This record gives sequence, structure tokens and C-alpha cells, in this order.
Amino acid sequence: MQDAVFRQALHNQIGKLGTTRVGLVVGTSTSGIRNTEIAYALRKTEGHWPEGFSYQHTHSVNALCQFVSEALGIQGPAVGIASACASSAKVFLTAQRWISQGIVDVVVVGGVDSLCLSTLHGFNSLQLLSNEMCRPFDRTRTGISIGEAAGFVLLTQESCPVQFLGGGESSDAFHITSPQPDGLGAQAAMYEALEATNLMAGDIDYINAHGTATQSNDRAEAIALETVFSGCDVPVSSTKGITGHTLGAAGIVEAILTIEAVNKQILPPLANFVQADIGVNLNLIHEARSASIKYAMSNNFGFGGTNCSLIFGRGGR
Amino acid sequence: MNALSFNLHEVAVLAPGLTSFAELQEVFRDNLVINNAEPLILAVPELLPPNERRRSSQSVRLVLSCISQLAKTSQFQLNEIRSVFATDDGVGEVSQQMLEVLSTTRQISPLVFPNSVHSATAGYFSIAYRNQKPSTVVSRGLESFAAGLLCAVIETLTVNEPVLFVCSDPVMTHPMDELLPITQPTALAWLLSAGDSTAPVLASFALTIESDEQLCTPLPLWIPKEWRSNSASYGYAALELLASQSQDFYRLGYGAQTLKLELIKREPL
Repeated sequence: MQDAVFRQALHNQIGKLGTTRVGLVVGTSTSGIRNTEIAYALRKTEGHWPEGFSYQHTHSVNALCQFVSEALGIQGPAVGIASACASSAKVFLTAQRWISQGIVDVVVVGGVDSLCLSTLHGFNSLQLLSNEMCRPFDRTRTGISIGEAAGFVLLTQESCPVQFLGGGESSDAFHITSPQPDGLGAQAAMYEALEATNLMAGDIDYINAHGTATQSNDRAEAIALETVFSGCDVPVSSTKGITGHTLGAAGIVEAILTIEAVNKQILPPLANFVQADIGVNLNLIHEARSASIKYAMSNNFGFGGTNCSLIFGRGGR
Repeated sequence: MNALSFNLHEVAVLAPGLTSFAELQEVFRDNLVINNAEPLILAVPELLPPNERRRSSQSVRLVLSCISQLAKTSQFQLNEIRSVFATDDGVGEVSQQMLEVLSTTRQISPLVFPNSVHSATAGYFSIAYRNQKPSTVVSRGLESFAAGLLCAVIETLTVNEPVLFVCSDPVMTHPMDELLPITQPTALAWLLSAGDSTAPVLASFALTIESDEQLCTPLPLWIPKEWRSNSASYGYAALELLASQSQDFYRLGYGAQTLKLELIKREPL
């Protein structure tokens, strides 16, 4: 949805329900840390923080939450979710719970992360950055390309062409940066998503995988997908070859791409893919093509072993 | 909206001069004031594997120390419990270390970077307790306790499972403390459930979001000035409802609204 259309739809909801019946759940990993990187370096050379620099209005997770609330005129409950690269996938489940308990009628969910030195040099220190194009699920993949993005979705209880149906969450309980090798946490999130939506694995017509293009993520996720969707031959792609890994915004970006896949009935392909990994038997999508997509899943996993799977479906279910 | 009713089963608190719920109850009972307390020495989390133990930040140690206090007597299986972690800035110390390096060599340590995500504490918790249940990390500045409590209560009501709610404020190391003046660490852990429960209940509450203009309950005088920039302080203050003879609700600021935490019933402390 374009910005003007989104704002008009939100404006209509606020006009109908009032500002306090609209909530905001926004995910981020690093929020505005880039501002503090610049300010910190200046403080070192000049001995004081730049005049007017405010951590609370830039770097804080709450800065993002507060800014979006004010920019969109939302006066209902608002919260930032900072669960690493699953942050803006988990926003859907928090919002769904808020609506189900009646504290709001409508929720703006979103995610934002911008480029910064912290993640660039941080991922480089872990030797997870690709030195070429990002190739999710490719045998020759060498790691992630960091991207930046912001995205928002308006969740209402009204009928619409694509619906958020539900999702699942889990924790790996394994390692801070590496996924459990058999993708057990990812499997748990996907199974919970299927259970929450009363769907069977065979009902899913497309999966937007987390697919970061690191060796460990793609291997573990492939095993998890092969286990949960055994015998289902579900088309799978990771769109990070196009968008890069937008970290805290990955959940919302990939949710929107999954929504668009369902809405337009088109399977989005892997980018930069050359050859399949040895032993991986996923039905990977190599080029965009039309398909009948009734239900689609979007996966996101994050540092700390936090996992989230979302399911979207055509409206009128 | 209808009030959100929930049970509070267990409490842990951790701050300088406040190392157990029993000590907090003494503060309430004897009108004590916490001042000039000894600095908190945070234990190395024994439940973590050796590598994670060494790498754990002060923030992780604060949270795991608080949870371990709860775990000693908990009636709940902490390896099978959903969790919500709330913090204003849970990674100030690690951010400062990275910012210092980024302003010079840019050679960030691969041992430090993973601790820079706000979900590191939740991740270490899941590793320490082998807990594969969902965990969510939320933040809302100084109102992080209010936001986290709301999310935790709604989660326990929706999924009908107990939820561990943790709110923590690790120290912002210098010079980050000039930006966000959290100079002493504070943390709390609440174990919540909804509906009928066979486990002992400390108190039952109703939580309501109010949109009409209401005055927030001020922090009590016994809260030291060093904790007044900490979100967990509001949780400590709300716990006074368990002991007060005159107060039956606590009103928390939450953006343009307020959260009214109303006591329904309590067990004698």
C-alpha cells in the first residue's frame, strides 16, 4: 500500500473509532543508533555531546515508537518490540492479542531499521557479511547483505483481500547467534503457526523464508522446512537477495512481500541464485510466476534464538 | 474495554539495597528508606554454559540474577514458561563499548556484538533454563514497566498460560549516563497468570487502560533519587498495593493514556 493510501485508511479508522482505539506496535533492532554513533565520535573530539542531541528522541527504541505515534496521530497503546531480526514479525502477534482482548480495535504494526556502523562492523566481526551479492539457499552463499527499510501495515477487523490469520513463536534455547542446527526452534514456530490457524502443512502455498544466506541459517531453516512441510512440495523463496537483510525491519518487509504475493497471486523468486545446496530438497522459486496462493507463511528468526512464523491468507475465509 | 484481570503469584526484586522480595516487604512494613546502599555485585550466571557465562554482560547478569531469585522458590517450571522482558535501554553498557570502538579502530569484538541486541537477555534466559517457549522484548522508555506489564497480562489472558514478566534497567555506563541517567541497576520479575489457578496467589489485579485525563500515582518517597529514571521503579511502587492499608490502585503513565492497576484481593504479607 502506498503511503498516501495507508495514511488515508488510517485517517478513516481514526475518524470512525477515535485516536485512543488505535494502537501501535513497532519493531526495531537498533532504532536510531546511527545518531549516537555520530554524536559519540563528536563528543570524543570536542569533549561534549553535540548541542541539541537527544538520545530519547533518536537512539532509544521508544524514540521510534513516540515519533510514529505522533506522526500518525495515534493516542492508543503503543510499544516497541526489540527482539532482534524477528522484531517486526512479532508485532503482528502482539497486535492480534491486543485486538482479541479488546484494548484497541485497530493496530498499526511496523518495523524500522536504518544502516549504521554498529551492525555493519558487528556482523563483519562475526564473519557473516557477504563480499558479493547475497545468495539465499545457494550452494556458494557467503553471508548477508545488510539493508535498511521501514514498513507499516494497518490491521483492522474488517474484510480485506488479504488477512493476517495468525502465527507462532518459539525460542531456540541453544546459542545467542547460531540457530539450532536442525532448526528445532524454527520448526516449533511453524508448527505453532499452523496450529493457531487450524491449517495443515499442505495448505500452505508459499513460504517466504528467513533465508539470510549465512551458511548456518539457511542450512538449519532448510532442515526445518523439509521436516514441517515433508511431502508438501511448497514453493519457497527468500527475498533478501533483493532487499538485503533489513534486520529489525525484516519481519514487516517480508510480511508485506508475502501479503503482495497472496494479493497478486505471484510467487516472488530468489535473487542471485545459481545452484542448490547439496542435500537441500526445497522447492525453491527461481523466477517469478503466477500461482494459486490461498495461504502463505513468512518466517523470521533473530539473535538470542527468537523465532516467529506468520500466516496470511486470501480474504473471505 | 473490560478490565484485564490477572493473578500475581511470585515476585523477585533486585537493586542496590534491595536483594529480595522479603526486603521490599520490610520497606513497606517499617517505612524504611533506601539510601546509600552498597553497590550490587552481580553473580556470574551458573546456569549458563561456560562460554555464555564468560560473555554475559552486566545487563544479562542483572536479569538472570533476578530470575534466579524467583526460581529458588518458584512453584512454576521456568523451563516451560512464556516470557516478556521490558527495558528502557537494556544494552547501554554494550552500546557504549561498541561506540567507543567505532569512534576509533572500528574493530568490534565478535564476543561483544551479539550482546548488543535488546533480546540478548531473553536469549540467555532461554539458554540458561532450556526454555523454548516464546519470549518478547518490549520497550517504551520510562514507561517500559507499564508497557511490559500490559503485554504480559494480555499474553497470559490470550494464551491461558502463565507468563514470566521481567523489567530491568541496567546501568548506562559513562558517558551514556549523560544521555540517559540510569546510574543504579534495578530489576524485577513477576510471575503472572489469568483465571483460576491452583498455584498460590499473592494478589489478583484488574488492569484498565484509561483515556480520560488522570493523574499518575507519584513514586513513593522511599524510592531513592537514583532510581527515579528507572522504569522498574514503577513496578516496585506498584507492589506497595500488597501491603498498603489505604491504597487499592496504582496509576501508571502510558503515553497519552494511563494504566490503572487495581487490587482485587490479596493474601496477607
